[in-house]
Amino acid sequence: MAGPVLEFKPEDTQAVVDEVMARSGQNITACYQCRRCAAGCPVGEETGYVTPDRLIRMILLGDREQALSNELVWKCVSCYTCGTRCPNEIQTAKITETLKYMSKEEHLDPLLPKVAAFHKSFCTAANHLGRLNEIEFMGLYEMKNTFRNLIRFKFKEIYNETMAQAKLGMMMTKKKRMHFGIEKVKHLSDLKRLLKKAKRSGPLTESDKSRST
Amino acid sequence: MEIAYYPGCTLHASSRLYDAQTKLVLGEMGITLNELEDWNCCGATSASKTNDFLAVAMPARNLGIVEDSGLSELVIPCSACYSRMLVAQHRLASNNTLKDEINAELSKKVKGDIRIMSILEVLVPKVESGELAEKAAKLLKGLKPACYYGCLQTRFPYNVPVPDDVENPQGMEIVLKALGAKPLDWSYKTDCCGASATVNDTDTALRLMSKIFEDAIARGANCFVTTCPMCQLNLDAYQKQMSQKYDIGRSMPVYFITELIGVAMGKSPEELQIDRHFADAIGLLKELELI
Repeated sequence: MAGPVLEFKPEDTQAVVDEVMARSGQNITACYQCRRCAAGCPVGEETGYVTPDRLIRMILLGDREQALSNELVWKCVSCYTCGTRCPNEIQTAKITETLKYMSKEEHLDPLLPKVAAFHKSFCTAANHLGRLNEIEFMGLYEMKNTFRNLIRFKFKEIYNETMAQAKLGMMMTKKKRMHFGIEKVKHLSDLKRLLKKAKRSGPLTESDKSRST
Repeated sequence: MEIAYYPGCTLHASSRLYDAQTKLVLGEMGITLNELEDWNCCGATSASKTNDFLAVAMPARNLGIVEDSGLSELVIPCSACYSRMLVAQHRLASNNTLKDEINAELSKKVKGDIRIMSILEVLVPKVESGELAEKAAKLLKGLKPACYYGCLQTRFPYNVPVPDDVENPQGMEIVLKALGAKPLDWSYKTDCCGASATVNDTDTALRLMSKIFEDAIARGANCFVTTCPMCQLNLDAYQKQMSQKYDIGRSMPVYFITELIGVAMGKSPEELQIDRHFADAIGLLKELELI
């Protein structure tokens, strides 16, 4: 599928290339567009013209805006197929992760808000008690979805989402896969301190390579 | 033989059956699983998609606990937890600044020198030594499983040592062949089931699962076997919805590897909690007179 013409902006290029490379730890300048990544990408059929190689090309051409918000960044399932097959060992899933952090820091609306809500809710719930409570996690996630749909008057979506989750919940209860007990880490202080540090630490780069390779 | 054991959140919640089966089956082979004291969530893929520091810090606390216990080997049946711990240990080894920053907050410091194993790394040597076959009370005759590894068992975002073939792993096949089953060669064993997309991007996940089902059925499989609780839940709980949308036309049980080992050892469906499946998992075993 042909995509829009990519425009080369030399003045913008270096900054975005440097930032993505430092934060993801991936040497994207090694990409020679062989497209083995594109051939193996399981969500490639759904990301329009954006395949891992094209995402890399977008960054190399300095198109920050497109790189931060496209279907691949939000549809990537982190299966690591692209990176495993890349002859130059570029792990594009680390790049989509990095672009997610960057788009969040720039307060951009996530292209797939449900994906962002899912991962955020997971981390909040997991760090609340130290162990993930599936009911708390899904409750948080659905609250975020409901709120987002509510302020946009999307009542039908609220109904559909609630019904789908209620159906799954009932099915899981029936099959004894739902557990209502609460598990909690006894010594939460370590985790709380690490969480605080994580929020404070800002961009993490892969630049300190204590290993040689 | 005593090994440290990290169940992870899923094995204490929606996949409790996997926890019970793992303890039962490994116990039968003389392996004592020593559950980590006061373990915490590994962060799964969500931490790495939200905050990179957290993605290493959460598993690091658990690694510190294992090291403190004095055990040098850790088994993690859940593929997501296994992948996260392995990656965290690798990243701590390659980034001293990060390691110091994390250790500063940990009451049980992490050195990063334990051996982290998937359940297959415990099982395969037991096949090679003949211990598994010794414990089998019956052969799994008639069982034609499509062994499904998913993403996280063999593919990692960093260069960590992979104990099996990346694109065509054989660990589950080795175990099941030793028990008399006939695992099939097929093309989708390491393809993605959609993982968390089943919840947040359902159509994408259903399409991915349909390909896995279509290939397994075309090859003549009569069940799936997996080691990953996330893959198990996806292929099982969303199977009906996916079958209707893609006109699959038949139901397939999705077993955990430990479930079939348990059956071969002569354990009852109650002990193994085989009734906790969405797609009927008892019928096939009865039909083949395995239970």
